[in-house]
Amino acid sequence: MTTQFDGIYHGTSSEVGKLRIAASGMAWRGEEAGEVTAIPSANIKWAQWIRVARNYQLRVGHKDQKEQNGKDTKPKDLKRDVFDGFAREDHDKLAHLLKQHFSIVLESKEVSVKGWNWGVTDFQGQELAFLVSNKTAFELPLTTVANSNIAGRTEVSLEFAVPADKKQSRHPPDELTEIRFYVPGTHTKERGSEA
Amino acid sequence: GLAGKEGKTWKRFQSYKGEAGLPREVEAMRIFVDRKAQTIVLPIYGFAVPFHINTIKNVSKNDEGEFTFLRVNFQTPGQLAGKKEDTPFEDPDATFIRSITYRSADGHRFDHLSKQITELKKEVNKREQQRKEMAD
Repeated sequence: MTTQFDGIYHGTSSEVGKLRIAASGMAWRGEEAGEVTAIPSANIKWAQWIRVARNYQLRVGHKDQKEQNGKDTKPKDLKRDVFDGFAREDHDKLAHLLKQHFSIVLESKEVSVKGWNWGVTDFQGQELAFLVSNKTAFELPLTTVANSNIAGRTEVSLEFAVPADKKQSRHPPDELTEIRFYVPGTHTKERGSEA
Repeated sequence: GLAGKEGKTWKRFQSYKGEAGLPREVEAMRIFVDRKAQTIVLPIYGFAVPFHINTIKNVSKNDEGEFTFLRVNFQTPGQLAGKKEDTPFEDPDATFIRSITYRSADGHRFDHLSKQITELKKEVNKREQQRKEMAD
């Protein structure tokens, strides 16, 4: 039996498609290009549920090569796929399907919507996560960092490679080009000057 | 703004109580000004990330060729070179986001956004000023 979810995006692409889940695995097909991303059930390692801009996101972690076929692997082979566009109500249905077909638990990851610009940076695999009160505010994929800079001893800037326009959509998203952090913990503060 | 006159007071603020509070418009993955929540929501790699107006210092815009760049500058400690640091922060040792820059081919929209953010900032500053005067 196959269950289908409509209006689902793969990655950060603007192409909408359908995600189908069955005992054999899951597959997403884009409605425009018709390309298929398939994850066989044997490769599915974990799944997470998190609120993003396009409603809720399902993240699927892949098993590495060694787990799949006994061959050794480099950490960079570890991969995950993300699917946006789920409704909050899809959670229980999805959790049930993942349990039933792949025996995995859909973990919920909490996000911060506090609106604060201070927190903690945390390297999580290929991502740099920014956490506010121990909840994820956002993640930056380090593979898209084109350049980084340390200005003085307390400022770090990351510049991002903006993908070349494949095709100009009518309502293109705003493109993040740079983020600068202030990291006061890296130098000794002068104390008592204002006492 | 964040500056408290009577010493190191830091007033707690929050954009939304929970993820259900995020406005629908964030789905477009474009910068959105949510006046009601006094918040700017920025799209960061698929996330919709709110920033309360109190965290924002100002915005700057510049045109380069066919693109317009909008930079959002945030309040951070250690910014006031030469001045006495009187801006309180809840956790001055945390990592702060100092600025985030976006690019768009739609210069008019960024122009509009820049005005919206500046207006909201002014409004909030004015209200804060009035509140302080009332308290005196």
